[in-house]
Amino acid sequence: MKYMNKSIEELHELLVNKEVTSKELIEESIELSKKVQGECNAFVTILEDAKEQEVTDNLLSGIPYGIKDNYSTKGILSTGSSNTLKDYVPFFTATAIKNLEKANAVAVNKTVLDEFGMGGTGTTGHTGTVLNPWDKTRMCAGSSSGSACAVASGVYPYATGSDTGDSIRKPAAYCGIVGYKPTYGMISRYGLFAFASSLDHCGVLTRSVKDAAIVTDNMKGIDKNDMTTWDSSNINLYKSLTGNVKGKKLCYIKEICNLENYPNRSEELNNHLVNFFNVIEKVKELGIEVEEVSIDKTLLNAIPSTYVVISCAEATSNMSNLTGIVFGPREDANNYIDMIKNYRTKGFSSLIKRRFVIGSYVLQSQNKDRYFHNAQRVRRLLVDEWNKLFESYDGVILPVGSGPALKLDNSSNNLDKETQLLEEHLQVGNYGGFPSITIPDGFVSNLPVGINITGKCYDDENVLNIAYAIESTMEYKNQIAKEVNNG
Amino acid sequence: MKKFTEEMVIDYADKLLIGLTDDEVKMVLDEFEIIDKNIDIINTISDIEKVEPMTHCLDDFKYSLREDIAEESIDIDDLLSNCKETANREVKVPKVVE
Repeated sequence: MKYMNKSIEELHELLVNKEVTSKELIEESIELSKKVQGECNAFVTILEDAKEQEVTDNLLSGIPYGIKDNYSTKGILSTGSSNTLKDYVPFFTATAIKNLEKANAVAVNKTVLDEFGMGGTGTTGHTGTVLNPWDKTRMCAGSSSGSACAVASGVYPYATGSDTGDSIRKPAAYCGIVGYKPTYGMISRYGLFAFASSLDHCGVLTRSVKDAAIVTDNMKGIDKNDMTTWDSSNINLYKSLTGNVKGKKLCYIKEICNLENYPNRSEELNNHLVNFFNVIEKVKELGIEVEEVSIDKTLLNAIPSTYVVISCAEATSNMSNLTGIVFGPREDANNYIDMIKNYRTKGFSSLIKRRFVIGSYVLQSQNKDRYFHNAQRVRRLLVDEWNKLFESYDGVILPVGSGPALKLDNSSNNLDKETQLLEEHLQVGNYGGFPSITIPDGFVSNLPVGINITGKCYDDENVLNIAYAIESTMEYKNQIAKEVNNG
Repeated sequence: MKKFTEEMVIDYADKLLIGLTDDEVKMVLDEFEIIDKNIDIINTISDIEKVEPMTHCLDDFKYSLREDIAEESIDIDDLLSNCKETANREVKVPKVVE
């Protein structure tokens, strides 16, 4: 690896000084893509004909990157990692990707996700499981599995992701990189395959907070095709990274973080939480005040079910257009009902089918209040609690997950796992549309673990600057995965 | 409240035009049981019914409508490029009237 392990600023300087060309970077990135595909199965498509771009003042110009395969790309296969769209070639490009094109960024591959983003393991994509580059017996988490794997492997400095529950921020933790979803509506969702529209966010996976700021500055912007976008032209994330955080205030929630909540904790969970509190001490040394706060456990325990009810209901509705009649592989049958049924039965994975049925059930008029509306009520109560915290604090700081990447043979998309508060609390970031960033904060069992900072809506500059300062106290910036052998 | 039964799962799946295997039916029921228990807990939150359901992330969002002026639209040939069967710039669909 000659160049692709470098940061965006470093690559830009090399390009400007003509020490390397855009073409050479693309060639290296494509070679690395093939290697990582062979080892970890991170890509749906490798764009071998990717063309070099002129190097301009824009930091992203001429530099390769990856696109999660649920972003529409004109003329390029865009499958959502689903058999139902295995041959779908969009006729338009997602706004966020168009914005990167305008910056002269060069897409070199489309990355694997959990089918349509509905999963957290990287095991449900139609091209197979994505393996964690640190330890191939473990998962990358999901749904932005391929993007996380590729960035951690040093294929390029960044890849796009999408995040409906924690689909950027959990894979980032499992792969030892940075994952950032900005405030809802900062980046247009036009051209992103809709999963649960009220929760879906676009975002990015990188190896540093600074790179996340640079990429997001280029992806964001108001878009007439997405009426939930807002004018963020006064926000410059890159320039806001001063590292000056003296006097800032963060809090952590004791019901999620404290060791005594987990009397039967594994060694990995124990070490993850001990590491979290060690990092909190470093955060305090920066001049940031950190306090413990408490939130009603009943409310917190409702987080995962609230997510499943809302996301399944919205997904059932959003994906009713997948019939195989207008696009997708049309099935043969004697009538159109059987055609659609064959297409949907064969095309969707088990997980998706289950979630559609649950989504349909909770939307029935006789069930709607008990399930769907109550989930939406809990959503509001949780968002209100977080917003109350943001009246006193710049952000909430919490550990991501219950330790390092889970073993693939324990992979589960069932709720019994998801009831664990530690695994699912990042979903609140989607309920409220809060800016939320995961950065690597250490190692457990020789594998990376992550920490998350979430702030109030529209306060992305502050949240990223805090993350930038915390990142500077540790040694995990710009790290590339090194396969470990845990025996 | 009528319990979510195997027959109901199959019926709902059928309405969604999805076929489920026996294992998948069981997985739906198992997953749903956990949701149902959590919803029972949610119902114990005092005055939950008085909370306004939250449907979007941003309550302060102001939607603005553009002027009703026709804009450039996507070329029909592009739109038809993913269709398996077309005829005269239209999508050829299976017969729907029995």
